[in-house]
Amino acid sequence: MNTIKLYVRSMGMLMKSHMQYTSSFILQMLTQLVMEGGEMLAVILVVDRFEKVNQWTGGDLYFFFGMMSVSFYTTEIFARGITGDFPSMVRTGRLDTLMLRPRTIFFQVLCSGTDPRRITCIAVGVASLIIGSRMSGVEWSVLKALALTEAVLMSCMLILGLFLIEAIFSIHSVKSVELVNAITYGGRSACQYPTDIYPRPLKILFTVVAPFALTMQVPAAWILGKPLYGWPAWTAFVTPLSGAAVLALMIVLFNRGMKYYRSTGS
Amino acid sequence: MRAYFSAFRMRLRLETQYRGAMIGGILCQLFFGIILVALYRALYAGRPQPIPIEHVTTYVWIQQSLFRMLTSTDVDLYDKIRSGNISYDLCRPVSMYWFYYFRAAAQKLMGSLMRGAPMIAFAALLPRGWGITAPDSLPAFALSIAALFPGFLCMCALENIAIGVTMRTLDPRGISGMLSLLMITFSGNLLPLTLFPDRWQAVIRWLPYSQLLDAPIRLYTGEYAPAEAVWIIPMQFLWAAVLMGLGMWLWDSNRKRLIVQGG
Repeated sequence: MNTIKLYVRSMGMLMKSHMQYTSSFILQMLTQLVMEGGEMLAVILVVDRFEKVNQWTGGDLYFFFGMMSVSFYTTEIFARGITGDFPSMVRTGRLDTLMLRPRTIFFQVLCSGTDPRRITCIAVGVASLIIGSRMSGVEWSVLKALALTEAVLMSCMLILGLFLIEAIFSIHSVKSVELVNAITYGGRSACQYPTDIYPRPLKILFTVVAPFALTMQVPAAWILGKPLYGWPAWTAFVTPLSGAAVLALMIVLFNRGMKYYRSTGS
Repeated sequence: MRAYFSAFRMRLRLETQYRGAMIGGILCQLFFGIILVALYRALYAGRPQPIPIEHVTTYVWIQQSLFRMLTSTDVDLYDKIRSGNISYDLCRPVSMYWFYYFRAAAQKLMGSLMRGAPMIAFAALLPRGWGITAPDSLPAFALSIAALFPGFLCMCALENIAIGVTMRTLDPRGISGMLSLLMITFSGNLLPLTLFPDRWQAVIRWLPYSQLLDAPIRLYTGEYAPAEAVWIIPMQFLWAAVLMGLGMWLWDSNRKRLIVQGG
């Protein structure tokens, strides 16, 4: 319990520091809103021109976009320490100070950052989910709400896990590795759309290697009533658990990587 | 004039330094290109459009290859603006606007050439309908290259406008962040402008943002006939002049209200 309390307290402190420059904060929130709005505009224009892709209607596409947007930016709010600053913590040697404290490194890094500006991005995602489910005529039930919650939660874990790969690389190579962005930001771009529209290698990549399809699309497709890859209904509740599995594996690898950490000095 | 060229040359050399990061960047950009092409192919499979898919994939690859031309910015300069060290630049016996204009030009040119050339080569090897196609005709090719030059001038001028705005707000993430979003959207990087609704295109093609890469690409694929270059290229130069004028006015008025604090 103590750990959770610590996490909540450090988030609170970070929030306070973000709120110091109120007008700048509000302006940045607006920028984020326009940015994510722009991303959604691209989907709207695609739907306007193409109307549908395979069996997915415009509403379905908005729903998938919303899933990605909510999951990705929720991760950015709660784990900015990993998704944003970690490589610079290694490069500048700020990571050293964390080793003196009686908590795990991973936990302390998690506590070290938040990005509350992303809240407007999540708002765009939520709006997209609502519009999508309206247009596709989803009949909500308790089970479907549960599936949605599980999917978002597990997708957050998956995204955090994938960002940890970058963190692990940066422990070894000091300089951040742009290439890893291919799997995190590339995954976000690609999996805004259902993966079954892609050719086989990309489909395998996003189902097996970076399983966005398992954590967010299988349940989303089930909610929309059009199972992805034709899989049965129970998979909508089981496959998202792969998100937790990826995160657990990456935490283990991260801790192992930390054994080889050499400080850059100051 | 010589001072500006040496600023240009120095910046060119700096840009060639980080080769390791560059290879990672190229691979990442290639991956994004492949995802986009796969997406548009899937969309086309369901509902073919009047614009052939080969033109869309060519559009995507040219945009992805020259991505750095649009987005690379001078981080040092933003730091100088925030810290106030920009006041040292007032001591130089050159026009500050043109000094930084040439630096930005060098950065954008070298950054995008080094990344763009291998990417275009890769895209040319991909099968038809996945990669980049040959230009529509020889004049189309020559004119698209010619149109890249005023497009490039516009890009550097837009960059200096963003910096001019930052000199006022001191925070690059506010208004100038919005400006770069406008650029990403209406230059055709987010979604090829050829796929925008037709009624929007009637307006968008006149905006400064479509002069950057959209006009050259359309000349290349033949969406614009070579004869249309007669008014397209002058329009690009006109926009370049307008944007430069706007930027110079902005920088000039910033210089007048600049207060250097001691210490």
